[in-house]
Amino acid sequence: MTVLEAKHIRKFFVGVRALNNANFLLGEGEVCGLVGANGSGKTTFARIVSGLLTPDGGELKLYEKPVNLRSHLDAERARMAMVHQNLSLVPEMTIWENITLGREARGRLAMLNNRAAVEQAQKAMEAIGARIPVHERVKNISPDEKQLVEIGKALAKDPRILILDEPTASLDFHQVESLFRAVLTLKDRGVAIIFISHRLWEVARICDRLVAFRNGETVGELDFAVQPRDEKLIIPLITGQEARDIVRKRSGVREQEISRHAGGGPALEMRHVSLPGRLADISFQLRRGEVLGLGGLQGQGQEEILMILAGYLRGYTGEILVGGRPHALRNTRQAIRRGIALIPGDRQKEGLFLEHSVLSNLLYPKVSMHRGSFFLPRGRYQKLASDAIDSVSLVPPDPRLVVSQLSGGNQQKVVVGKWLALSPDILLLNDPTKGVDVGTRQNLYAIISALAEKGTSVLLYASDNEELVSNCDRVLIVFEGRIVKEMSAEEISEEKLVVSSLNVEHTS
Amino acid sequence: MKTSRVFRGLLQDSSFPSFLMLVLLVIVNAILQPGFFSFQVFRMNFMTFTPLVLVSLAQATVILVGAVDLSLGAGISLVSVVMASLMKDSPLSIISVVLLGVALALFLSFFNGFFFGTIGPPPLIMTFATSTMWFGIALLILPTPGGHISEAYYSIYSRTLAGFLPVPVLVLLVALVFCVGIGRTRAFRHLYAVGGNEKAARASGINVTATKVFAFLVSGVFTAMAALCLVGQTATGDARSGQGFTLNSVAAAVIGGIAFSGGKGNYVGAIIGGIILGLLINIIYFANITSFYQEFMKGVIIIVALLFGAVPRLRRELLRRPEEGRS
Repeated sequence: MTVLEAKHIRKFFVGVRALNNANFLLGEGEVCGLVGANGSGKTTFARIVSGLLTPDGGELKLYEKPVNLRSHLDAERARMAMVHQNLSLVPEMTIWENITLGREARGRLAMLNNRAAVEQAQKAMEAIGARIPVHERVKNISPDEKQLVEIGKALAKDPRILILDEPTASLDFHQVESLFRAVLTLKDRGVAIIFISHRLWEVARICDRLVAFRNGETVGELDFAVQPRDEKLIIPLITGQEARDIVRKRSGVREQEISRHAGGGPALEMRHVSLPGRLADISFQLRRGEVLGLGGLQGQGQEEILMILAGYLRGYTGEILVGGRPHALRNTRQAIRRGIALIPGDRQKEGLFLEHSVLSNLLYPKVSMHRGSFFLPRGRYQKLASDAIDSVSLVPPDPRLVVSQLSGGNQQKVVVGKWLALSPDILLLNDPTKGVDVGTRQNLYAIISALAEKGTSVLLYASDNEELVSNCDRVLIVFEGRIVKEMSAEEISEEKLVVSSLNVEHTS
Repeated sequence: MKTSRVFRGLLQDSSFPSFLMLVLLVIVNAILQPGFFSFQVFRMNFMTFTPLVLVSLAQATVILVGAVDLSLGAGISLVSVVMASLMKDSPLSIISVVLLGVALALFLSFFNGFFFGTIGPPPLIMTFATSTMWFGIALLILPTPGGHISEAYYSIYSRTLAGFLPVPVLVLLVALVFCVGIGRTRAFRHLYAVGGNEKAARASGINVTATKVFAFLVSGVFTAMAALCLVGQTATGDARSGQGFTLNSVAAAVIGGIAFSGGKGNYVGAIIGGIILGLLINIIYFANITSFYQEFMKGVIIIVALLFGAVPRLRRELLRRPEEGRS
């Protein structure tokens, strides 16, 4: 049975055409992938299907009957649930309150039955193999745990159609595995699932079929029953161009480049840095012009290292040398002054002023560091902004747009772009490509390697191992707050990364 | 294990710092005010505390949903003026005027809630506008304080039931029961959700508009109770009688640990905050501070109370985790 059918769906936002001709079919018990570049309309489509947006045209059928979803409630009544990309959790509430929110169990006199609600929440979390105490407040848990709660919340609705909008973006591969197990169980029960992801290997692995969007239109389909599960077949659908293999520069060439900048010693050095309960005795050097990766499972201390260097975290012991001289990085301002810039992964929270224009977002760091004249040099700043827009290839390239109108991936480009204007010596990247499509990702890393060639040092944390493999000159594996392994350029491979992330090498 | 969770929960509760402040103020007050622990003083204190606590509860409700109501004081004045201008001495008249007062208070809150919920202007400005409207109407009805409040009505407020239960305390107990009951409804949970993250609430299928109107209506219940108490206490109608309550109630709610941004805090905090402000007025009075300094001292103590509330947050910021550091 076809549970969902969408034909010629159109949706316009102020000045932006989000969907033009979106077509989609979904059968009972089917896992269908939805792929496409940032701004291709995937999330808009998902939001229309789940009743959060009303389409401007087209036809939508649920269970073979035409429907007009006026609100999220209508969709929920049709037993549709969506796992949101921008989390839909209330931070001050506990996990179980969030999971049952909107569908609270009630007992006598229409009073809330909290015991039943807690049980319901626990069951939902167990179904995805998540071990998080449900009494914890959401504001106290980590991003990956929030994502799991979000998934649990959707499952607690006992849906027939489940939309997963980039559910894995903040999960590590263990968590992804348990999510996949849950997806397969649901599929066996006849639940139809739309799986939206930028990680193509995931789509190739878990989906029965996939649909690709480009510029708001359905441009192609792959049926894995007849076609091989090969990422190379997917990429051209998304980009509209033939897949190109990402070529790693030979490590010898990179070594030469790095040694060219060797004068003046390492750009950054950490000596025996510890943070009570989080980091233990971290020591490493970052050479000028080097791209150094931080690998390992999610939440092993990689973020803490970046946060210390960016001046966010205080209370560490040990020594940090910037350009050969010891520096206490007490706040973000000092870090930026020393030429250290952090590109965060959670753009909504820490990277952007969502209600401000692209122009002002791009210029805030520059303005905050401005010295000299009382008035700001407007003309020069506008030039800077348009340069930044060019170098990150923002779509649409309009500095006047309000950032919240941009698609997720383009928002991320703004986050990156705003630091380029400062031309930092040391770039800290905290999972910079979270929720960013293949094309943009390649673009972003092209920018980064160009910067590295010019002598900028890069410290990169990525939850996606593939990114570490294709971009780093060296990788440090962090496990439970310690550096357990260092991999040189010749050693880096995805397989080795996974093995050492688990820190089981010596036993196996 | 469960008890330790409960204990930890108490320590981390948003109203815990204000509780410490309350204990401190009670001690200071006991030293300054003769016979603080005697029944008479206890009764007298609660006659003044009760309206303030009730208005704090009203304010807390709208702050929790992410709004604020600057028209509470003017609304209370208007209710008192209407009651004083209509009341006769017959029991029937008293009862109908009381019911009318309650209905009026509910309507005023509903009016605010409806416009805030449907059209969504900034509540600060919108309720400021309605507050001047209410004040204007009250002045039209009763340009100078006066009117008539039947003795049969206002004498109830200073009565003591069964020899140990003063009526103001009884009113507070009723309010408390109401808090507990309303706190266990689905709509009240939604109130926290809307205040905490409106988008998330909407995505969870919550009717945001209805929730906002609900919050204002609950607030109206407390406002009505406060107005009835105030009329019982002052035995007159006065277009200015409620003025002081508005910002005092905001201060009480925030001192009680309720986040001004909404979605965080609880009624216990509002009650504690209300009593803290009441004690404060007492202390300043009994400490023989010249009247010129009274207002100044009150401001200073409110700031101290706010600092109390900020201690846990400041401590956390010194040892913050990356996830928290970002927010």
